[in-house]
Amino acid sequence: MNEINLSFDFYHLWEVCGGQLILIVAGLLLMIIDMLLLDKDAETRGKYIGWLTVFIFVATLGHMVYRQWDIHDIVFMGVFSADKFSVFISIVMVFSGFLAALMSMGYLRNNALMKGEYYILLIYAVAGAIGLVQSVDLLMMFITLEVMSLAVYALAAFIKESPFSQEGALKYFLLGSFGSAFFLFGVALIYGLTGSVNITSIALAISGGLYQSLPLLVGFAMILVGFFFKMAMVPFHMWTPDVYEGAPSVVTGFMATAVKAAAFGVCIKVLYVSFGPILANSGQPDFASTVSLSALAPYWKPVVWWLALLSMFFGNLIAVSQTNIKRMLAYSSIAHAGYMSLGILAANGDGRMGVLFYLFAYTLMNIGAFGVVYIIDGKERTAQNLEDYRGLGYKYPALGFLMGLFLVAMAGLPPTAGFVAKFYVFYAAIKEGYFLLAALGILTSVIGAYYYLRVIYMMYMKEEIKEVVRGPVAAPTVIALVITALGVLYLGILPEKLANIANVAQQGLSVIF
Amino acid sequence: MAGINEYIILACILFGLGVIGFLTRRNALILFMSVELMLNSINLMLVTFSASRADMGGQVMVLFIFAVAAAEVAVGLAILICLFKHMKSVDINKFDLLKW
Repeated sequence: MNEINLSFDFYHLWEVCGGQLILIVAGLLLMIIDMLLLDKDAETRGKYIGWLTVFIFVATLGHMVYRQWDIHDIVFMGVFSADKFSVFISIVMVFSGFLAALMSMGYLRNNALMKGEYYILLIYAVAGAIGLVQSVDLLMMFITLEVMSLAVYALAAFIKESPFSQEGALKYFLLGSFGSAFFLFGVALIYGLTGSVNITSIALAISGGLYQSLPLLVGFAMILVGFFFKMAMVPFHMWTPDVYEGAPSVVTGFMATAVKAAAFGVCIKVLYVSFGPILANSGQPDFASTVSLSALAPYWKPVVWWLALLSMFFGNLIAVSQTNIKRMLAYSSIAHAGYMSLGILAANGDGRMGVLFYLFAYTLMNIGAFGVVYIIDGKERTAQNLEDYRGLGYKYPALGFLMGLFLVAMAGLPPTAGFVAKFYVFYAAIKEGYFLLAALGILTSVIGAYYYLRVIYMMYMKEEIKEVVRGPVAAPTVIALVITALGVLYLGILPEKLANIANVAQQGLSVIF
Repeated sequence: MAGINEYIILACILFGLGVIGFLTRRNALILFMSVELMLNSINLMLVTFSASRADMGGQVMVLFIFAVAAAEVAVGLAILICLFKHMKSVDINKFDLLKW
């Protein structure tokens, strides 16, 4: 896997990176189609482009499930890999894009934002995210990270008339590029030390004894900082609440799931490949005896331990005092990043499986919740306060039920996907002996249950004080909400199937690296 | 002639200046410039490593970073202009609509 294959087989590239290729080419085509439709009014144009986008995401999903899933290979001069692990996370992200595209049609109409470029940016954000989890090369990670981030910055700033949206996007942009500069500094250091940016070659260089060198540790720390920024882990979470509150609701749902999934996927991959069993499988048996996973674990495990604890505590505690529902969900997403990082910390097969399951479940419940938020909101920022949810359970029974379901799932109560997901990551952490952290994590999820259930309490136990009229509900949004709600319930009651698939997916890492 | 260490130290100093600038200055445009300074210090570092290792990889990376940095500034300035139209200011202390 170390020698670079310079031959360029296009069919092979299509098999391994087909998902990305479909999205990139489709994005270009959609730009042209958007131009060709200029004589139509904005409403019709948005509808066409929106449905085309949904179709493209479905095609990408089909390609990934039926073709890429069975392929284990590294192509494009050793830059992109198709292994079941990255393909699983790619599927989660494309699914997230698919749900976001469905909901966006109604959202954009409610806010008079019908513009074709919205969907094109969405497609490129997903393409960048797929590239990020598929890349095995630090430089390509940087480029795809930026492709994803630039598209998401633009999406976050999509409501031009709203200073909130612009302000959140600017903060996201400034802190995001600050974070990627750190990432790149780490890449440069590691390149200087090992002469390579390929994570498998780096692993070999590390196992040759470099792991004790301070610049290498600094380099890896900086790379991880870049990932933690995107995952929104405390203390790198400063941008999260502002951006999530300011950005269009559907974009927030997408950001909180796809971007997080990409960052988690690539972080696990880097930690696994560069610090993991490759050292034992590298064909040079003396490395296996001298350096094992435990050689570098003492350096990064305490850091992840503290970040997980801080994220769980700060995320949940600060969410309690929020009055804006989007901001509350932003802090809850920080807390969820903390729970997921328990799986990274465990660094075993169960942990990785737990993270994969969690990402899928979180995608369903989070995008669903933001879908309800946007419908109740009508036009952005008209009814986002918790007070506005008083009595809504009786006024709009279906929306109230869905919101209740998603919030119960986020709180981690059975019989929903959120409970099973939390169970898997806590189980993995306990199996590795992190009893204290698991206990504290369960304590924080009790705090979490308070503010999630408070919204449900508002919806069903309180009288309406302010007249809140929900926005019109578009048919695609209904489809997306039904998919997410059924998914949350299905994964809560019968999780084995997805858990088995996730388990196969996490084993994919050891097949290819 | 300066050795590799001098170049690396210079790059680290520039990177540090970028970080300090980003953390202390309050003008959004200066923050952009600080990030650019950080990226360019990384470029200097990559070129140095590339030369010392006689490996072209580092120099190719510099070209990629140039392109990405240009794209980043394009998006960032566009957002800043939109925000400036609302706020009539580029002072990030004034951008406080969203807090707590």
